[in-house]
Amino acid sequence: MITTVVGNYPKIGPGTKAPNLRTAIGKGDRGEMTPEEIMGVRAQVTAEVIQEQINAGIDLVTDGLIRWDDGQTYLAKAISGFSFTGLIRYFDTNTYFRQPVVEGLLKWSKPITVADYEFASFNSSKPVKAVLTGPYTLAKLSQDQQYHDQKRLVLDLAEVLNQEAKALQAAGATVIQFDEPAILKHKEDFPLFQEAMDRLTQGLNPTLALYTYFDDISGVYPAFLKLPFQIFGLDYVMGKANWDVVKEVPSDVSFGLGVINARNTKMETEAEIADAIKRIAPIVPTERLYINPNCGLEFLPRETAYQKLVRMVEGSKKAVEVTA
Amino acid sequence: MSGLLTTSVGSLPKPPELQAARNKMLRGELAREELEQMERDATAFWIKSQEDLGIDILVDGEMDRGDMVTYFSELLEGFTISGLVRSYGNRYYRKPIANGPIGRKKPMTLKTWEYAQSLTSKPVKGMLTGPYTIAEWSFNEYYSTFEEFVMEVAKVVHEEAMDLERAGAKYIQIDEPAASTRPEEMELVAKSMAVVTKGLSAYTLTHICYGDFEAVIDDLNSIPVDNLDMETANQDYSLLELFRGHKSSKHLSLGVTDVHTHEIESLEQVKAGIRKGLEVFSPEQLFIGPDCGLKTRTADESIAKLKVMVQAVNEIKAELGIA
Ligand SMILES: [Zn+2]
Repeated sequence: MITTVVGNYPKIGPGTKAPNLRTAIGKGDRGEMTPEEIMGVRAQVTAEVIQEQINAGIDLVTDGLIRWDDGQTYLAKAISGFSFTGLIRYFDTNTYFRQPVVEGLLKWSKPITVADYEFASFNSSKPVKAVLTGPYTLAKLSQDQQYHDQKRLVLDLAEVLNQEAKALQAAGATVIQFDEPAILKHKEDFPLFQEAMDRLTQGLNPTLALYTYFDDISGVYPAFLKLPFQIFGLDYVMGKANWDVVKEVPSDVSFGLGVINARNTKMETEAEIADAIKRIAPIVPTERLYINPNCGLEFLPRETAYQKLVRMVEGSKKAVEVTA
Repeated sequence: MSGLLTTSVGSLPKPPELQAARNKMLRGELAREELEQMERDATAFWIKSQEDLGIDILVDGEMDRGDMVTYFSELLEGFTISGLVRSYGNRYYRKPIANGPIGRKKPMTLKTWEYAQSLTSKPVKGMLTGPYTIAEWSFNEYYSTFEEFVMEVAKVVHEEAMDLERAGAKYIQIDEPAASTRPEEMELVAKSMAVVTKGLSAYTLTHICYGDFEAVIDDLNSIPVDNLDMETANQDYSLLELFRGHKSSKHLSLGVTDVHTHEIESLEQVKAGIRKGLEVFSPEQLFIGPDCGLKTRTADESIAKLKVMVQAVNEIKAELGIA
């Protein structure tokens, strides 16, 4: 059993040693700090949140997506063919992002996250998971003024992200996660999604993870678990129906069990976490289990995010003792 | 004939020294009274500015509010405040945490409203945040369901609205910017608003931000307030098309300036927006304001945007022969 996080981690918090990123960006807006200096602060914060995850006992860490404003713009800015328009809400959360606009044919021109991955690996004593937003979700959260054909748009994005993943693979990434929350809100698009996932994963040797959140996979189960990935991340907090829906998991895949609510400060108890692990154990044995929050941790204050990870690790240990 | 009354959504920019003073107060380096004096000065500045601009229904500008939900939760029983969470870009806020039964100790907004109203003969809106938004923008560690949380908050918002009305407020706005978060919950927004506005004789408004209203336009029209205050300029007025197909007897506050851009709209742009509004609503039904609270802009930008807005309204009123 491996403990991990889904992606982002709160960027600022009390009593941290790295400079405050919010203050730094504010200074940048006033012309008191250069973009390079701000990137320097982001790097320091990244190193710090990696260490924080390790301190909490997390086995497989991410770089906390400290350089990302949100799941869309960081990638879209570097893909040719995108521009940006007004702020829109991210699903049913209280966070917003500047909506990407597809204005031209989408092309991968240079590595986007490779330097970030290398930095994180260098600064982590634990394995690092690279995280990318999947092509379907990225397309769905963008405004299309070019393709007027969802299928072509999604497949072109799958091609772009496949090249990014290949660049990560060349840089030594051993685990690459793709986030696809949007497919759960548009299950009628599953045939296209399958095609996109095939395209996305072609020629990739790292362990590939497909993470969903904010909903359950009813309606696309069991086909969902046959997509070409080795790890499937499911939300058992907001997608409670997953308990009833997922009765069997193919024996060649691992499971990302989202059991910690990363959208509410109410602390789970160790017993609740251990119970969830025990409940899933007959369907997925613990050696094929990843334990993680239900989604990225940035909806929480930094101190709560950390406490929740500590609790998650303790609850997982407890479950191992009981099931052993 | 009357119509095309001008107003603002609620918040206006704070002078930078006020933010600095608030931080100082929080660190114990400044007496609360000194901060409150600065807040009153800033309120007086905005009342005077709005009068000079010729705006019809004024706001106090929320100089004493950090955030529209945190402000209330700090004054209510049952809430604590979390560490900072990010909403977008470099914007962070402290999110309330409900960890006990919600109750009101004393009137929350009355003193500021009374002060602002004492400075002008124009009506000043009472400004409240609605129960759905307060609950939606809080963490919930206490109530077993979200609906229970919303309906409990509705009771205290109602008490506050009654106090404002008793003090003489002619316009009371209950903002529900979060109402578009989950279309399937628009019914809950309306149900909780009914608790808030029950027995009020003041003119009521609600402001709702961002969102895809297509699926919920009928529920939106059923929220028990007199006036829906909507963002329209930054959506290129597409929302009006929905109202065209779903005629409303409600009044609409039409947003004619985008609060998220530094750019000042041209007179022609704003006039064109108002004309679009007049295709669907009568002048009596139509209020004119910015898209959303102007607190994200500078004072100069806000005044410039409001100035164009008032001029555009005046020119259109002249064309239509509205006094
Ligand atoms: Zn708004």
